[in-house]
Amino acid sequence: MKWIIQHLFAVTLVGAASFGVASAQEQPIKFGLLQDFTAVYTFVSGEYNQGQRDYLTLINQEGGVEGHKFEAIVRDTGNQPQRGIEAYNRAKEEGAILFDFLSTPVSRALVDSVLKDKVVMITPVHGRGDASDGEVFHYVFPTMATYWSQATVLAKYIEDHGGLEGKRIALVHIDSPFGREPLPVLQDLAAEKKFELKAFGYPSPGNEQSAVWSEVRRFRPDSVLIWGAGGGQPVSVREAIRNGIPAENIFSVVWLAETDAKNVGADIMKGVKRFEAVSTGTDTPILQRIKAKVIEPGLGAGDATHVGTSYYNIGVATMAVAVEAARNALKSEGAPLTGEKLKAGFEQIKDFSAEGLMPAITITAKDHQGGGAGRVSQWNGQAWEPVSDWGSAYQELVQKEITKGSQAFKEGK
Amino acid sequence: MSYFIELIINGALTGLMYSLVAIGFVLIYKSAGVPNLAQGAVVMTAAYVVWLLAALGLHIVVAIILGTVLMFGFGLLTERLLLRRMVGQPIIMIVMLTLGLEILLRGIGPGLLGAAPKSIDLGIGLSPIIIGDIFINRAYLVGGVVALALIGAALLFFQTRLGIKLRAVSDDHVSSWAVGISVERAVGISWGIAGMSAVAAGVLWGSVQGVDWTLSTLLFPAVAVAILGGIDSIWGVLIGGLLVGILGSVIPGYLDAIVGGGTRDVVTSLIILLTIMIRPYGILGREDIERI
Repeated sequence: MKWIIQHLFAVTLVGAASFGVASAQEQPIKFGLLQDFTAVYTFVSGEYNQGQRDYLTLINQEGGVEGHKFEAIVRDTGNQPQRGIEAYNRAKEEGAILFDFLSTPVSRALVDSVLKDKVVMITPVHGRGDASDGEVFHYVFPTMATYWSQATVLAKYIEDHGGLEGKRIALVHIDSPFGREPLPVLQDLAAEKKFELKAFGYPSPGNEQSAVWSEVRRFRPDSVLIWGAGGGQPVSVREAIRNGIPAENIFSVVWLAETDAKNVGADIMKGVKRFEAVSTGTDTPILQRIKAKVIEPGLGAGDATHVGTSYYNIGVATMAVAVEAARNALKSEGAPLTGEKLKAGFEQIKDFSAEGLMPAITITAKDHQGGGAGRVSQWNGQAWEPVSDWGSAYQELVQKEITKGSQAFKEGK
Repeated sequence: MSYFIELIINGALTGLMYSLVAIGFVLIYKSAGVPNLAQGAVVMTAAYVVWLLAALGLHIVVAIILGTVLMFGFGLLTERLLLRRMVGQPIIMIVMLTLGLEILLRGIGPGLLGAAPKSIDLGIGLSPIIIGDIFINRAYLVGGVVALALIGAALLFFQTRLGIKLRAVSDDHVSSWAVGISVERAVGISWGIAGMSAVAAGVLWGSVQGVDWTLSTLLFPAVAVAILGGIDSIWGVLIGGLLVGILGSVIPGYLDAIVGGGTRDVVTSLIILLTIMIRPYGILGREDIERI
């Protein structure tokens, strides 16, 4: 009898323990993908968010991480800070520990909240650049090249292909904080490398730029950097070509994609270059697995033709980094995950390239940008083709801006 | 000097492109007395309709013709289902209704058809027309010609029997009813025509920048054109378009380099403010004097 009671007790304990483990394993890790699907960022958010959700589905299909599956909380903020704050509060109550707003105004409005609430906010390939300083912005992770780093990578490419000294570089930008963001690093670089830099702003959203480009043409630039997004970008490319600037001399911020090439004319845009944060196409192992395990079984989050496009792949890469951080956190900190544990997981990411999808990044407690690497790719008439290796450039200039911005934030400016 | 001339020519053509949007705004105001704040979104909707028809395999010319018919119907329906219910309501509520319609259309188009910019190819080459050191934008030149043709057609239309009825309606709804003119029908037709003109604006602007929600932002310069030219004047659309386009090109062309930013929106805003303060009925608008 005693034996039976002892064994029953043991079985109950194991059972209870197993149930506890099972409960923990069944608890999903929640990410709040609270983005702008209806206003300013619509040119990117659909494909980007689709890539994010498809990657999380892939991880779930493969059994999750340490038994934990992932859940995406997707809501529209309309690029409005007040709606973003409301969506953030709801998602936080539902247990989200990571947030991606893909909106500079919403991200900026919520910086103080995420720092106070100790949950992670990622800001890949968009603002704010000074959040790369992890010692000030403890819970904000750009995780990919900021606009400053994108500008320096493009400048390095121009330097490596004909030099910068004595050249004329035009920065044609949307007249907004985003459009003006690369100016300080380019001005520093112009002083250091002795080239002439001139900025030309056009009003948002950029659907009419003819007067600006008449002025750009008269500046006779050797290279033109276009710094806009959405509908303004094909207008910039068209106006540049119309004003006799060779396509090969046009360089774009990361926001120039396949749809823009279609709008400009796939052949006309041949030769235009851009900063690339993530590989395009479906040749990389992760994209192959997404096709096999998510798209083919019909589990995809959207139009299958988007798989492998620029913005889709950026979305995939953002979640690959986030899941890697969760993996690190579960290993070193244990379940259940919290924002604090996830932050620690991000800061353990070392030489992570998402199986070749992106440049290897290393995130530390000090550097939340991850190195600021990228490459230059060129439109060949059908697709984007890399024309440089992954790498970063002039990070000392970028660091100067990061420190300046983060100190100002610290001082409450 | 050539820079100045280029700014004037391209500015004038751009202004005529704005006139394409403004003409729909003026038509509705002229007949119904309603400032239609949804006209930018109607332009966007027209562009989406033509893009959709072309994407279904129709030749672009057929798509534009069919799109024009559909947008006429859209205008009629908008008046019938929304505006007619508002008869007798305060004008501020009618304006709010058009604002609501604008937000609704801006959500529905990208929501149903995807937010990525769509392409409309009209086959207009990118190479500019070069005269000396002056580059003239070929797409805007086509847009300018279409705008002139539409303004001419609108002027002729108001000489026809139906056009005269619309003018009577714009003068006085009650008197028009008294002489047997169907005011509701006349206002409906003006909404339909505004829908048709939106096709020209949507297709031409869509071919330049792609079709997405940002087409709806054309309302702002179009309102400046209508206010400056005279909110109830078809000739005013022409004059206002040319002035808004030229001022919005020449002033930023010289000022941007000095202040380091895009001043065109500032110029457009000043045009609206100064016109309302100095000549509220615009250059060619009718000044209503009421006996009290």
